[in-house]
Amino acid sequence: MNPRRSYAAGTGLFILLGFAALAYLATQTTSLVNFESGPSYDVTAEFTNIGGLKDRAPVKLAGVRVGTVKSIVLDQKSMDAKVTMAIADRYDQIPEDSYAKIMTSGLLGDQFISLSPGGSPTNLKNGSVLDNTQSALQLEDLIGKFLTGSGGGKSSSSNKP
Amino acid sequence: MSASATANRDPAADPLVQVRGLTAVLSGKTVFDALDLDIARGSVTAIMGPSGTGKTTLLKHITGQMHGAAGQVLVDGQDVVRLPREGLYRLRKRIGYLFQNSALLTDYDVFENVAFPLRAHARLPEDLIRNVVLTKLQAVGLRGAARLLPSELSGGMARRVALARAIVFDPMLILYDEPFVGLDPIALNQVLKLIRTLNQELGITSVLVAHEFEAVREAADHVHLIAGGKRVASGAPEDLVRADSPWTAQFFGGALEGPVPFQYPAPPLARDFGFVGATA
Amino acid sequence: MKQFVARVFDPLLDGLADVGRTGWFFIGLLLALPRGLTYPRELLRQIWFVGAKSLIIIMISGLFVGMVLSLQLYYTLSIFGGTSALGTVIALSLYRELGPVVTALLFAGRAGTAITAEVGLMRATDQLSAMEMMAVDPLAFVASPRFLAGLIAMPLLVAVFNMMGLFGGHLVGVTWLGIDNGTFWSNMTGNVSVWKDVISGEWKALAFGALVSLIAVYQGYSAPPTSEGVANATTRTVVSSSIAILALDFVLTAFLM
Ligand SMILES: Nc1ncnc2c1ncn2[C@@H]1O[C@H](COP(=O)(O)OP(=O)(O)OP(=O)(O)O)[C@@H](O)[C@H]1O
Ligand SMILES: [Mg+2]
Repeated sequence: MNPRRSYAAGTGLFILLGFAALAYLATQTTSLVNFESGPSYDVTAEFTNIGGLKDRAPVKLAGVRVGTVKSIVLDQKSMDAKVTMAIADRYDQIPEDSYAKIMTSGLLGDQFISLSPGGSPTNLKNGSVLDNTQSALQLEDLIGKFLTGSGGGKSSSSNKP
Repeated sequence: MSASATANRDPAADPLVQVRGLTAVLSGKTVFDALDLDIARGSVTAIMGPSGTGKTTLLKHITGQMHGAAGQVLVDGQDVVRLPREGLYRLRKRIGYLFQNSALLTDYDVFENVAFPLRAHARLPEDLIRNVVLTKLQAVGLRGAARLLPSELSGGMARRVALARAIVFDPMLILYDEPFVGLDPIALNQVLKLIRTLNQELGITSVLVAHEFEAVREAADHVHLIAGGKRVASGAPEDLVRADSPWTAQFFGGALEGPVPFQYPAPPLARDFGFVGATA
Repeated sequence: MKQFVARVFDPLLDGLADVGRTGWFFIGLLLALPRGLTYPRELLRQIWFVGAKSLIIIMISGLFVGMVLSLQLYYTLSIFGGTSALGTVIALSLYRELGPVVTALLFAGRAGTAITAEVGLMRATDQLSAMEMMAVDPLAFVASPRFLAGLIAMPLLVAVFNMMGLFGGHLVGVTWLGIDNGTFWSNMTGNVSVWKDVISGEWKALAFGALVSLIAVYQGYSAPPTSEGVANATTRTVVSSSIAILALDFVLTAFLM
């Protein structure tokens, strides 16, 4: 082959490889993976405490990812956190009275919303509200409970030494 | 209008290169001491002189690669010292320069070296470039070596490639720094013929730095002899050998003793060898 | 005493003067850069020399760095019972710090020295003067393409290095040490951000690429035209680049991340 053309070809290959690697890193190893791309419907739930839950955290049912946390705002009337989730359209058979719970993957891992299916015949649809929720487990409360040996009363959660 | 004016002008009165009072000091050594010198349009002018006298340095001053401490260098009416970069480069596009050490671009093969000025300055179709380059290579007898790299050439071949590169643009002025070095008699004759042809057929003004007097006698109309930072003799080659100046007599006779120093300026031999200290 | 002061301060002053001269050279280079873009073929050739030819060393080094990182971090994380975060920690260390810095150091040794030696030799054999005589500005034809090639090649090399590092880390962490594959990736994708980690690392790569190729070209350009001069310039390229990379890394990390 013409030596000048083979230069150009090799250079082109190198540039392609570099950009491919960059694209791989950016899309496959970062939180971009968690972007739900397909069509989805919105469901809201209120929690008294969301702990460390963040935007774009996964929503799982039976450990399977079904959606993404879309937004988290404070509802100033109830003083609760209002979480909007985007659930993928293909999961349209989730009972309306399902139970939403904020969980942690591992002891120090990330927080996500776990759905436990209820028994209602009607299913979640766009705009549905999940009434049954359980807030994030606070490590501090847990340790407090553990130290006092019994259920955490109001006194044990205040900052007494 | 200006063309006819140029044609009517006496070439001796309107030299292409005018050096006036050029003084240059390099590393404390005065290489030129108020040098005056003219190169007539359309001539082949040889610059001769002992080794280390500043012939290469003179060519570098003419092309603006070096600037003297004082004096003026005019090329085609332009003062190369005062010329801004753009103007200098525009001037250089019309000057061919053969480096004493060839200075080929080692990354490129022979063909690309010769094509380099063409590609850099003119958007020419590839087959035209090919034709021009191969014609010039043919003229120096190296058309067959077009795809060799500079590292694969002998010294004499490299000089001929550098020569082809210097003439590829058919410039108005070509400066040859020792074009005959390392050439066998056949190649030397060919290069000699080439220099004359370029001058006679295209009217290219040529400046020739060379030590080979036989070749200079064949090619040059005019010779400047430089020694000790000054022009010591000028004239047609035939007149110069016959002139009874001590400079020419010594230089062309090759005598060790005379006004042209063979030694680079140095303190007396005795002092370098330490005898002065011993006797004092 | 005076001698002692001179011995300490002379090299310091020399170094400072070198920085200053490099700065002036940089300004000239920037002015020549637009004209340098008129030689795209030369730029392509330099990307080949500077980038493509550094690929093998970058890939192998990346693989080993990732493997070592995996071993070390696994040990550290297991103290806290946090080995599920291994993927995250490997990715963050690579993207934010080790990728750009190690690649830049290797780049200085592999490509920087080659640039300095080549340009220095071009100066010594009058090739740069020959170009000037042919009315081609060596700043535009020689310096600019090499500088731009470094600027373009470095971020790409860093991406390749990071990818290989990730594979090396995955190989050790998942295949040998038995961390769950799903945990390795999902923990990573949960915690690594595109802009704050991947792209900010690439900014560093860009800065280091500019720095190393500037130093390399300048050293070659200003090398005395002797074998010793070129040899010394090559050494200086490695030493100055390495110090400059590490110092700039600190500044960039402190102010940009
Ligand atoms: N860059 C430089 N720095 C210091 N001195 C120089 C430099 N270049 C040339 N010289 C000195 O200038 C003088 C003239 O050198 P030049 O190369 O012009 O000689 P020359 O007449 O071409 O000799 P030759 O016939 O051997 O080629 C020499 O004495 C040389 O030592
Ligand atoms: Mg000379």
